[in-house]
Amino acid sequence: MSGAMSTVISTHDLRKNYGSVRALDGLDLEVSGGEIHGFLGPNGAGKSTTIKILLGLARATSGSVTVYDRDPWTDAVPLHTRMAYVPAGVPLWPTLTGGEAIDLLCRLRGIRNPQAYAARRAHLIDAFSFDPSRKGHTYSTGNRQKVALIAALAVPAGLYLLDEPTSGLDPVMEVVFRRELTEAVAAGSTVLLSSHILSEVEKLCDRVSIIRAGRIVETGTLADLRHLTRTDVAFALEGLDESDLRSLPRSSDLVLDGTRAHFTADSDELVDVLPALAALRVRGLTITPPSLEELFLSHYGDEKPTATPRTRREARLGKASQ
Amino acid sequence: MTALRLLVWHRLRRDRVQIPAWIGSFAALIVLAVVGLQDSFGSVAERTALISLAAANPAILFLRGAPQGTDVDAVLVFTLFSFLGILVGLMNTFLAVRHSRAEEDSGRAALIAATPAARWTPALSTLVYGLGVNLVLFVAVSGCFAVAGLDAAGSVVAGLALAATGVTFLAVGLVASELMPSARAANSVGVGVVLISYLLRGLGDAFGTVSDDGVRVDSAWPAWLSPIGWANRTRPFTENALAPLLVSLAVAAVLLGVAALLLARRDAGASVVAVGIGRPAARRSLAGPVGLAWRLQWPSIVAWAAGGAVFGIFGGALAPALDDGTLGGSVISDELTRLTGGADLAEAFTTVIFSLVGILAAAGGIQAIIRLRQEEAGETGALMLATPLSRLGWLGSYLIVGAVAVLAVVTAGALASVVAAFVVGVRENSAHAVLAAAVQVPAALLFLGAAALAWALVPRFTAGIAWGGLGLAMFLGIFGPLVGLPDWAVDLSPFRHSPEPQGTDTDWSAGIVMVMLALVTGAAASVFFRRRDLAGG
Repeated sequence: MSGAMSTVISTHDLRKNYGSVRALDGLDLEVSGGEIHGFLGPNGAGKSTTIKILLGLARATSGSVTVYDRDPWTDAVPLHTRMAYVPAGVPLWPTLTGGEAIDLLCRLRGIRNPQAYAARRAHLIDAFSFDPSRKGHTYSTGNRQKVALIAALAVPAGLYLLDEPTSGLDPVMEVVFRRELTEAVAAGSTVLLSSHILSEVEKLCDRVSIIRAGRIVETGTLADLRHLTRTDVAFALEGLDESDLRSLPRSSDLVLDGTRAHFTADSDELVDVLPALAALRVRGLTITPPSLEELFLSHYGDEKPTATPRTRREARLGKASQ
Repeated sequence: MTALRLLVWHRLRRDRVQIPAWIGSFAALIVLAVVGLQDSFGSVAERTALISLAAANPAILFLRGAPQGTDVDAVLVFTLFSFLGILVGLMNTFLAVRHSRAEEDSGRAALIAATPAARWTPALSTLVYGLGVNLVLFVAVSGCFAVAGLDAAGSVVAGLALAATGVTFLAVGLVASELMPSARAANSVGVGVVLISYLLRGLGDAFGTVSDDGVRVDSAWPAWLSPIGWANRTRPFTENALAPLLVSLAVAAVLLGVAALLLARRDAGASVVAVGIGRPAARRSLAGPVGLAWRLQWPSIVAWAAGGAVFGIFGGALAPALDDGTLGGSVISDELTRLTGGADLAEAFTTVIFSLVGILAAAGGIQAIIRLRQEEAGETGALMLATPLSRLGWLGSYLIVGAVAVLAVVTAGALASVVAAFVVGVRENSAHAVLAAAVQVPAALLFLGAAALAWALVPRFTAGIAWGGLGLAMFLGIFGPLVGLPDWAVDLSPFRHSPEPQGTDTDWSAGIVMVMLALVTGAAASVFFRRRDLAGG
């Protein structure tokens, strides 16, 4: 594995059509070696399609895609020796036990050191409180998820492709997952973690790409992205004059709700507001940095019905009405 | 009462295609059998030849039942009734499991149980609905026999006998649903009980006592342990005895009581047999795609091979009877001569039997590709292909297991035939039987390759194309000549090109061509699969 900053995943103008439905519409995604990259977007935005293309399970309609500088469609087998995959909504074989499924997948991925594997498997089964002796059809959603997570983490990989890996896990297991993943990644592995759970991405990821309708709309570190939104400032209204507040520099959206005053300031210009607040000797001051949630909502909250059909039914109806 | 009515209606609606299809096929079978019988065995002499041959051969008695004379209606019951018993049994156990354990398995039952409908109503509505279906079955079966011009009282008894068998198996299905933790397991128990019932009846009939005139058989005691045996024991048209049906209904009542007791004592979703516990770690053999494909498919391969063995037993035990003159000049021998072009009768018969084994072998091969499609649709295929497993390796493992299935069916058929012939005491035909089995392999392999190609090109239509193709080939190759289709249409069927088994003179060229075609289609499947996306469900 080369230096930490080398590019592991690179897509340019990636497009994927299913019939008349555009699943990906010019996706540009860059993931560097050694980072945990959050891949954030609502259901149906194209996250799973992207991951299927990165695995060589689906072929891009147009555009370029490389993983470790190779084409995942033609070089799937050599690439997969370095990759681990956790699908969304893990399917299992009804007649195989969870333990058998884990062993099968790990043996296919290639176990170099059987003792190390046995120890690692036992550790993960214990950490996730997983019962490996039940048949596949009897597991709950969360337990099916554990099968895929254990199979992915039990054999070291250079690149982990995790598609909504914590869906169905309880909060305790989410903590276990974060701990185990962080541990696995400390060795220098790269992770692409698709999710619509913002808190998970905030806690784990170094960089984030936000996908909407098959296209990346924002990408950067969490700090970068926070700069894109405004910081919320609030304090007690008691003993203050409204005209003083109106003249505060760099502030906007002032709201007085009886007991408290609220306004927002550009995150970069917040320091310019502070002397004025100090001069007013405001009490009960709270300054709330923008959460990823706001960022997310600012991209999706105003989602208008787009021209692109998102389901086949929509595509048909659209065609019929033309 | 409203809840009960709603739930019965809901079941009716869910089965609105399935149940009419089952009952419609029973009716079609009866009508076809009546027409076929009057066509091929119109005279008493022909029927006497048929029944005398059957009564003298335990293998036929095992498969068909105990004959009760040579009248048209009695012969009809002999050829049809046991087989209908299996179908009625399967329809009822599937129905019971579908509306009870399968509902709990999927979690839908909890939705219903959370409404005021509560604990008993869903079970009760399944019972009411099941009884209703068997009532319709009674009307349909009796009606078909009566319309075919058979005696009215006998027709009613025949309908009652099958409906009573149905109610017994309905209760079996309900008990299995209480016992087993999954719909799959409950259905396996249901199918198992139906097959054991058929087996017990078969043993009873095979060891039955033949009457002096050689056209009647009194079943031995094992037949009395089987719901299918009870239905046969009513002897519709000849005795019209209703007493055996009291046994059916009594057993059904006891089973329903057991099911009610179990239902009253368990939690929703729980079962008597605990959820299956298996190995916490995989055996060494489950290490690659072939290991998985074998693990997923060996039970169905065993089932297909058992089917092949049944045909083999039939052929091996029966062929010698054709040589000893029992059948000389009868309709059966004429028919066989027509089908096989007038070779030695025993050999001709063996050839025909093994052409049926060939169809089973092709089906076993096709099943491997159907499983491959299920793996792809269920997304477990994506889990496999996300590992360093090539697409050729994945497809190849199912082609290998499919080829093993083909060979297993053919080998089981040949072995069973040789053993059966050995037991009957005639060994001369064995070499021919083995050859007749071997020549079936090329066509069956071709079906395997063609199914794989269909899967690679149009994955979502795999099952339709593969089973449809096999059905068409059966129709063209076996029935085509009989109904006078032109040669080119008949020759479309691969089964027509299986080598003629003629000792050392056997001409294998068409077989070699078919094996090459199988390899070509398999290779083409691999090429085309490499060029397409994985297609989820």
